[in-house]
Amino acid sequence: METQEAVAEGTASAENGEVKRDGRKQFSMGPQDIFEGKLIYDGSIHADGKVEGEVRVTGNIDVASGANVRALLEGSNVSLKGAVEGTVTARDKLTLSKNARLSGDIVVRRLQIDDGATLNGHVRMGDVEQQASGQ
Amino acid sequence: MSSRRPGSSGTNGQGNSVVLGPKDRLVGELFIEGDLHVSGTVDGSLEATGDIEIAGSGKVNGAVTAYNRLVVGSDASLIGSDVRVARLTVEDGATFSGKVTMGKREPVPQPVEPEQPQQLVQPKAKRR
Repeated sequence: METQEAVAEGTASAENGEVKRDGRKQFSMGPQDIFEGKLIYDGSIHADGKVEGEVRVTGNIDVASGANVRALLEGSNVSLKGAVEGTVTARDKLTLSKNARLSGDIVVRRLQIDDGATLNGHVRMGDVEQQASGQ
Repeated sequence: MSSRRPGSSGTNGQGNSVVLGPKDRLVGELFIEGDLHVSGTVDGSLEATGDIEIAGSGKVNGAVTAYNRLVVGSDASLIGSDVRVARLTVEDGATFSGKVTMGKREPVPQPVEPEQPQQLVQPKAKRR
């Protein structure tokens, strides 16, 4: 996939705090970017702009405040600042920051919701089953 | 005694506040005109017109409705069937599960407004 490589290269800037923290790749989007489809990625993703479909990563997912996401999200730590519609699975922790809006069911191990965030959906807490990814 | 928390809660004027301490236990259904602070154990449903805070090692099993804000502290636990709140804070470490519905308070949208002005005007005209 050429896009992956291209993006991984463009990522090396210090723009996002978490870039390559543990030597992992990061798929990084800007506010004008649009992603549609299914992404299975060995690394982290910084989602911004518009995302539609399905995103499963081994690392973290971080949704920027201006982002508009309608997708299934699955990652280790998931941090939401923007609007998300869809099922969210966090193998470790899900954080909803104060301007986050999430409508969808969530499965998490740990959960933090800051005052001001909006959540509509079913919350299940406990160990996340071994990557429910059908691939 | 008029002003504990005048604005935030209670259409009947009084800002009531109920505390269930760490050794307290409630089984059943509780409605409060005001705020509720739980650090004990609750099996049943809670409804408050103000804030609900589950703090310390408080545990709640059941439906929770807070017209304003719900806070679940880091050692607290809420296993709710149905959680309806206007604002929600869940601290890291808390146990939390259930169906969450957030938004503005529901029981507002049906006041009878539109025809009142006309009714006020017409009787006067007829009297005349």
